[in-house]
Amino acid sequence: MTDPRILWAQVARAAVNWKLIAPLLIAVEALNWLAPASTSTMLTEIAILALFAASLNLLMSFGHMVSFGHAAYFGLGAYGFTLAVVRAGLPPEAALLAGPMVAALGGLIFGALCVRLTEIYFAMLTLACAQITYTVLFQWYDFTGGDTGITGFMTPRLGLSEAGYASFALWTVVLAVLALWVIVKSPLGLMIRAVGQDRARAEALGLGARKVQLTAFVIAAFFAGIAGTLYAVLHGSAFPDYAGLSLTLDGLIMVVLGGLNSFAGGIWGAVIYQLLSTFVPKVIHEWELVLGFVLLGICLAMPHGFVGLLKRLGLGRKGGK
Amino acid sequence: MLEIRNLHAAYGKAEVLRGVEIAVEPGEVVCLIGRNGVGKSSTMKSIVRDQIAVTGGEILFEGASLAGLRPHEVIRRGVGYVPEDRRVFASLSVLENLRVPRHVAAQDRRRWTVEEVFQLFPQLHDYRHRKAGVMSGGEQQMLSIARALLTCPKLLLLDEPHEGLAPKIAEEVVDAILELKREGVSMIISEQALGTIRRCADRVYVIDRGATVWNGTVEGFYADPEITRKYLMVQ
Repeated sequence: MTDPRILWAQVARAAVNWKLIAPLLIAVEALNWLAPASTSTMLTEIAILALFAASLNLLMSFGHMVSFGHAAYFGLGAYGFTLAVVRAGLPPEAALLAGPMVAALGGLIFGALCVRLTEIYFAMLTLACAQITYTVLFQWYDFTGGDTGITGFMTPRLGLSEAGYASFALWTVVLAVLALWVIVKSPLGLMIRAVGQDRARAEALGLGARKVQLTAFVIAAFFAGIAGTLYAVLHGSAFPDYAGLSLTLDGLIMVVLGGLNSFAGGIWGAVIYQLLSTFVPKVIHEWELVLGFVLLGICLAMPHGFVGLLKRLGLGRKGGK
Repeated sequence: MLEIRNLHAAYGKAEVLRGVEIAVEPGEVVCLIGRNGVGKSSTMKSIVRDQIAVTGGEILFEGASLAGLRPHEVIRRGVGYVPEDRRVFASLSVLENLRVPRHVAAQDRRRWTVEEVFQLFPQLHDYRHRKAGVMSGGEQQMLSIARALLTCPKLLLLDEPHEGLAPKIAEEVVDAILELKREGVSMIISEQALGTIRRCADRVYVIDRGATVWNGTVEGFYADPEITRKYLMVQ
């Protein structure tokens, strides 16, 4: 186990960063309560997608596992929550835990298959698992509602106002990201990074590489499930698209945009991506074209993404991971 | 402690070992000698199942077969492994590299601590917050040995520990090996430097074309110049 003193020292070091993060969170909260309801909804979606991207980033930046199917766990989270309400008759407040648990279970089952292979074959297996999930959600009309999804089963946002739910989602995401950060800094996080860098070498140091990778996979699925649950509650609905390839690609773009090999990369990427996708179409109809050029620029000129740019400008934390 | 009988191993369809026989007693340092490409590294890889297929023969560690075990399971039984290419985790700091193997439980054997390996390699303590990828080859070698010690091995495999090192650094590595020998750590060292063999080894195995062709004491090895001429010199 970790020496608690070491973990505490890391938390204390991170506290320095809180001097920067806390004012930012306060500003977001102020904007949430002062701006129109549509802004609150946008902030909620940004927060949710930031958590989704952060969970994918755990796999990509630390475990060096590129998943082409991470949306499956977002979708399983959304449906886990929704079905717990609709089929099991749980009150929505009690069903909140069901979403992440179902996503983690999905991560355990699919992850056990995926970690048997590496690199592109791993990526292809994640894609296959996600497509299976999507197809089941899309086709199983009697249970999941099929392509029409499940709607109208609850008051959106648990009956909270847009600002109230945005606040709830924001702080839930803050806690979840903090938990992810503690995991990355823990001995488990170190093992995930070691196996990600050199699986054979990690095994030669006594680490069970598959077990470590599966653990990372389940953790990432769990946090993606929290994001999916928050999204289902926001809209009071669940659709198969929540587990679709499109959301997976969005997540991959977010991580690259924000910066690979950095904990904050996924979070920044989600913020930038959502802001771009919200505001650019109001100016230019072909927003995907703009996104394409932005990605080209990032990949060619700034391979470490937005976080890399911050570091170059002397504004980010040194040391990356 | 370790007994290898008639070991055959292959990379894919290419058989590289065709009858290696080695025995190591507790506390003993054994050197594997031979020209490049004769199977010394492959023998070590076969013991820890590192990306090589054992196709025949038997490897017994403390009386139990290692057949069918995955690499990490072999390590957990008490075999430490320092590969030829060191393979440090480049983006992790020295300290983080040393914390990776700390979870290998070791109730029945010498448990090394990070502080102890810092005493063995003081440079590592000085550079503990430095990224391993920016360290020199010698420092990476020390880190690789230190990291293997933290798996708490009963038997340590060192594959060409002096490969590519400056003489002064190589000397420090030899000193560390001698210190480990005094500690009673059993070792198999793949080595070409005859001076190191004389200082460190108790016994010598000469490997040629994937098979053991001679074994005996260090004294016996040096007493017969024909062995060196036949199996080590470039022909």
